[in-house]
Amino acid sequence: MDFLQTLQQSGFSKWVSESGSLLGYPTILFLHTIGLATVAGLNAGLNLRLLGFAPAVPLAPLGRLFPAMWLGFAVTAASGLALLVADPVTKLSQAIFYVKLLFVALAVVNMQMLWTRVFRDAASNPGAVAPGARTLALTSLFFWLAATTSGRLIAYVY
Amino acid sequence: MNLAHVHLLLNHVPTVGAAIAIALLILALIRKNDELKRVAFEVFFVVALLTIPAYLSGVSAEKQIKDRDGVSLMMIAAHESAAVTSLVLMQLAGAFAWFGLWKFRRTARWGRTTMYALLLLSALTLAVTARTANLGGEIRHPEILATDGTTSTEEAIAAVEQALASDPGWINARGIGRWVTDRTWIWPSAEALHFIGLWLIFGVILVVNLRLLGFMPSLPFSAVHRLLPWAALGFALNTVTGMMFVIATPDQYADNISFFAKIGLLMIAGLSLLYTTVFEGPWHVGAGDRPPLRVKLAGASAILGWAGVMYFGRMLPFIGNAF
Repeated sequence: MDFLQTLQQSGFSKWVSESGSLLGYPTILFLHTIGLATVAGLNAGLNLRLLGFAPAVPLAPLGRLFPAMWLGFAVTAASGLALLVADPVTKLSQAIFYVKLLFVALAVVNMQMLWTRVFRDAASNPGAVAPGARTLALTSLFFWLAATTSGRLIAYVY
Repeated sequence: MNLAHVHLLLNHVPTVGAAIAIALLILALIRKNDELKRVAFEVFFVVALLTIPAYLSGVSAEKQIKDRDGVSLMMIAAHESAAVTSLVLMQLAGAFAWFGLWKFRRTARWGRTTMYALLLLSALTLAVTARTANLGGEIRHPEILATDGTTSTEEAIAAVEQALASDPGWINARGIGRWVTDRTWIWPSAEALHFIGLWLIFGVILVVNLRLLGFMPSLPFSAVHRLLPWAALGFALNTVTGMMFVIATPDQYADNISFFAKIGLLMIAGLSLLYTTVFEGPWHVGAGDRPPLRVKLAGASAILGWAGVMYFGRMLPFIGNAF
């Protein structure tokens, strides 16, 4: 716990949580939100396509959304790390925080599996949806729903 | 000028707007004119969208006048409860109109059921909205209360208050507010849903509007158009949960500059949703086509509009004064 106390007393941590600057805590919180909206939202779009909505959309061009999804994830991960450093003692003592991290990890692994098993070869294989794609779409939707819900509950459940 | 003034500017939009939309719809049915039907549905969508700030500015107007002489708090409460019912019906009608427009864009046909269902729903909405407007008028214009000339204004107000006290009505704004705040699990659940709705909207809006900006050129726009109901679902989810927050704790939003900006940008985002749903420009972007400049501008304003809604939503406690 000494390390966490030291971290919480660090200059960066104090700037985020106590400076009162609009560029501190508020902006980092917004980046965390828009990153989530990008990575989870684009995943949802792809998953809905794999589940049979918008069937006329070819898969290959959707694969070009993966860099945008990874960018969204990077923004959310970096801002999330900053939010954690600002308040490590409380956050790391909350069980719900670990639940959220678990679902985020599962969602990200699921995203990479969607790439390797469904979208990477879509260009050479137009029209065909890889076997297991529907299952991956359903688990992806579930993991992002669970990650968002448990993430939101960090502010309410201690 | 303050937000009470905005309420005076917007409070006629729901009644007058719904009446115009109904007139257009009837005219279109008589003339069997598909283009006019589309206009009527579009007008209904826009009226429903503007009803959101009409309701919300009322929350601010209440704060301005509630401590003044001759203003009956009970009559404000009655107006507010009627406004909740109006808002619910108007948003249902608006969602129905949106769905009709989305379907028309794909099939180029209007179903009879769709037409008559909207006509019925909008007539009901107009009736409830007119009553809301009347109750609102009585708050500052008690002269419309005293009917037979023998009773004084004070007696008329007392009579109305007595009637309201014995029957607060089926939908009651204060009751809904207490229902939300008295149960500890509702607010966090609604927050979680609000964020799920947020990424559902933003993700679908990104896919659709990135195409309009020229990305993923091999995608025909008509194919991604099929995803739009999921953005509309997110919009509906967030309207319901967002209104729960406002009804439960109106003081957090009544004079919050961030909230004002958020709702202003929501109007831009909502109009851009109408544009992508039914206008000609995006629809004719086929596989391999480069979108024209005005379509690209619409795509950019949709993405920036929703991002702005998120930004000012997040800034409610920081630039504004919530919590």
